[in-house]
Amino acid sequence: MDRNQIGKWLKNPGKMANKYSFHVVYFCTGCGIIEVPPSITTRWDAERFGIIPVATPRQANLFLITGYVSTKTLAAIIRTYEQMPEPKYTVAFGSCPINGGMYYDSYNTITSLDKYIPVDGYIAGCMPRPEAIFIGVTHLWKLIDMDKADGYKRYREDYVHYRANQEQILGELDWPPLFSKENL
Amino acid sequence: MINELKQKLLANFNDVQVNIPEDNRMTVNTKKESLLSLVSYLKNMGYNHFAMLSCVDWIDDKEFELIYIISAYPQDDEHYQDKEKKNILLKTRISRVKAKFITIISIFENAEPYEREIHEMFGIHFEGHPRLTPLMLERDYKIPPFRKDFDTNKYVENTFGKVPSIKERKEGKK
Repeated sequence: MDRNQIGKWLKNPGKMANKYSFHVVYFCTGCGIIEVPPSITTRWDAERFGIIPVATPRQANLFLITGYVSTKTLAAIIRTYEQMPEPKYTVAFGSCPINGGMYYDSYNTITSLDKYIPVDGYIAGCMPRPEAIFIGVTHLWKLIDMDKADGYKRYREDYVHYRANQEQILGELDWPPLFSKENL
Repeated sequence: MINELKQKLLANFNDVQVNIPEDNRMTVNTKKESLLSLVSYLKNMGYNHFAMLSCVDWIDDKEFELIYIISAYPQDDEHYQDKEKKNILLKTRISRVKAKFITIISIFENAEPYEREIHEMFGIHFEGHPRLTPLMLERDYKIPPFRKDFDTNKYVENTFGKVPSIKERKEGKK
């Protein structure tokens, strides 16, 4: 443990523990998932950053969107995101989730992901190499230190608007709203 | 051997045009009436692997071109070489208006998903197909998305482009 950070640990132990133990949902979208197996295995070894993939979204707090998102995948992404316990962070890879990328005129690929779920950070590149993933994670640490990675709070606040956007694309959703007016 | 097959095809069928662009590839242009008999003839000749069904939209000719790729594998597995694998491309054209064609499931059963896909993406109705239900797409499209007159830019603008960002939603925009 870094001695300079002892102050931080004493001040806010929950946040620090949360920050150094990212559990990633094993969720494959698009082409970027091919970068994840080398980064979690021996060559790049993501575990030294505290990143480990887990089997179910209920144990996870980091969601990597690894590429373009078709409408069918969007429904699965929303379901997975809503199952994750708070605090949770979302990082999107490459240019496709930002504005569609090379699928900007596809009949079945959504053009910007942050209209449907909150995104805390983007990693540029098509696709980003494992080093870029680690740089992105260290940036996310800084954001968490400054309390700027507040995607899950925004989702809670603006849930009505997010839900309205999701229904505009997917039609009527076949799962109940995550937040109703009583538990907000 | 492929030249022998060419002679046989020309002798047995009237309206076929046979080209051999490479040693292991043969293209056969045929009319739509004789396609079914041609497929079953080739199957009896030992070309028993239906690889795929493809479609091209020739919008200026107002025609769809269906391409059936059928291949044969050499009997001798030990000395298998990729060169020996022979591909036959059966091409036929059908009208673009109220496009329909007949299914070849009775000859090659694995044609079912391919025909379903072509039905979904190009809107060609295959008569005799047991279930032409949606295969991959979830949404309804007025024009099937792989046709040339489907304007993707306009479609994206009207669906995904019209979704407001969260900031705009908060300000009350629709």
